[in-house]
Amino acid sequence: MNEILNLGLITAIIRVSTPLVFAALGGLLTFKAGILNIAMDGFMLVAAFLGILTAYFTGNLAWAVFAAVLGSVIMAILFGYFNLKFKADIFIAGIAVGMLASGLTAVLLQGALGQTGVFASSKIPRFSQIQIPFIDGIPILSQLFSGYSILVYLAFLFTPVVSLAMSRTKWGLRVRAVGENPDSAASVGIDVFKIKMETVILSGFFCGLGGAYLSLDYVSLFSRDMTADRGLIALAAIFFAQGNPVTTIAVTVLFGIAQALAVRLQQSVGIAPQIVQVIPYFVTMIALIAVGFQTVHHRKYQQVIE
Amino acid sequence: MARSRAQLSDIGESRVAWAGHLRHLAMGILKPSAAVGLALLIGAGVIWAMGEDPIFAYQTLFNGAFKGAGNFVATLQYTTPLLFTGLAVSFAFRAGVANIGVEGQMLFGALAAGIVGYTISAPHFLHVALAMIAAAVAGAVWAFIPAILRARLGVNELVVCLMLNPIALLLTGYFSSYPLKAPGPTNKTYDILASAQLQQFTNSAQLNTGFILALVLLAVFWVIENRTGKGYEWKLVGQNPLFARYGGIGVQKSIIGAFLVSGMVAGLAGAEQVLGVYRAFYNGFSPGYGFDGIAVAMLAKNSPIGVAFAALLLGALNSGGIVMQMMTSVTRDLVKMLEAVIILLLAADFAITSFKARRKVAKAGTAGKSIGGGQA
Repeated sequence: MNEILNLGLITAIIRVSTPLVFAALGGLLTFKAGILNIAMDGFMLVAAFLGILTAYFTGNLAWAVFAAVLGSVIMAILFGYFNLKFKADIFIAGIAVGMLASGLTAVLLQGALGQTGVFASSKIPRFSQIQIPFIDGIPILSQLFSGYSILVYLAFLFTPVVSLAMSRTKWGLRVRAVGENPDSAASVGIDVFKIKMETVILSGFFCGLGGAYLSLDYVSLFSRDMTADRGLIALAAIFFAQGNPVTTIAVTVLFGIAQALAVRLQQSVGIAPQIVQVIPYFVTMIALIAVGFQTVHHRKYQQVIE
Repeated sequence: MARSRAQLSDIGESRVAWAGHLRHLAMGILKPSAAVGLALLIGAGVIWAMGEDPIFAYQTLFNGAFKGAGNFVATLQYTTPLLFTGLAVSFAFRAGVANIGVEGQMLFGALAAGIVGYTISAPHFLHVALAMIAAAVAGAVWAFIPAILRARLGVNELVVCLMLNPIALLLTGYFSSYPLKAPGPTNKTYDILASAQLQQFTNSAQLNTGFILALVLLAVFWVIENRTGKGYEWKLVGQNPLFARYGGIGVQKSIIGAFLVSGMVAGLAGAEQVLGVYRAFYNGFSPGYGFDGIAVAMLAKNSPIGVAFAALLLGALNSGGIVMQMMTSVTRDLVKMLEAVIILLLAADFAITSFKARRKVAKAGTAGKSIGGGQA
């Protein structure tokens, strides 16, 4: 049992959850603006690739993260434009952007790095581990919360920022207004396209950080389709939490716990990984059904009143 | 002999109708061709940026798809699953439901065909038929989930499909890796019996009688969609559900029916792969045929005849892409990229078409929503 539940598990959970948290932050913003962003896996994949590519050629992690975020934002702008300006169906556009990212990164993996499946190199620098000053000497606390890369801390620091921006700022209010009723938002002078585009671009920014974390810190390599549906899982968490930021992040961490446990359980007990991997999607299905029942019930109730 | 006025106007009207058909046909060919052309151009840019010769790369792709009987048979082999999945998606689109869960339905169909293929023994035709029926039922069962949720609870079927696809991949993966796994290093079920195998035409490729079945199915669907009352109902519901309801058509039933039929066809796509190509269910055998089906349906403008041509186009790209990958440093993933660009361009409603649509609506005086691939 000790090999399953130990301090290392907490560390693993934090590391597994980080990309999910980044994607969830991006997905939350678009969700609030009424956009179902199923293209996040594509954003992250492009970011993960450009991160590794830039790190390999420049040896500079700052440039690598910058390139990752830039690539992800460009994909986001493409997605946003096709959906918001050219009125492409959001699911079709999302699937297409995902396919585009998958195909393009695989082609460029061969074209620029000469590999077909996986690229790793000793020339790719690693992030330095940040030691938190006050808890550095304390045995368990420092083991748990010290020694991660800057990106891990950023993910969890951005969580309250996004939550507060949504609930306390004028911009957040506008985003919610646009998401709940675009027509009435437009009627009071809010530029619906601009607000929606801003959330899409920000989701590109967060997915960029998430992708950079995946390839540069989590594993330090690029492999084809390495995001492994993390964007979709984050979206599932958002659905389950019905857009509440704190609940969303809590659910993503729960999914992270399930994933971290899955790896260990598979190693020690031999439980099938698929059974644990299916949890996020399964849980979301149940949430969707529950919400559906609520809505139908609510509608019937209203009919009775009328 | 003078024709009566009524006769004359009849002729005039039929001429107008024919001109309309022709224009419709021209637009139906022009827009997809433009999208394919533009996608190839963007692809050429990527190839050029990699330091390869785009013309040479495309030439090897084209020759690899069509030059010589062997290559052409391979192209038809890659076309076959897309005929099924393209038909499944386009049929649903036409009836106004966006079944993007074809991938998952296909996987369950494949697993069902695989299980029936080795667990029972029966004479050849019966065995194949039973495996196919099992696949169609499995696909329909998996499609029933988004259908019933949308019809009864109003849950967005796209979100449900989006979640059901990975669930299907993981569950079929689980079954073929644990309880139903055949001994050996690969995660697959037991090989199907010879009596359940679809006959392959040549030794070099896995093109099989499933291809003929796909063509027959396309013909059947063309007849259903264009010559039967049920097909007309589905089309009406797809184009304008409110109008259809006033006309006395049960929209909910129609949605569920369309999903079930689409799921059946998706299940058959899996059956063809298992009974004809792989001869067992392999975990993760599909490179995304269900998603390719979306591209096919959008290129096809939701007509069975269009599906045949669009599937051949994408099948040729897939098959030629393999040859291109062998001859150049451009991998076959380029095809996936081209496909994505084609979908994006066709899903988009650029200024010109939206202007035309608006004019058409103004002319007709009705706001009938067209059910192009993009609208869901």
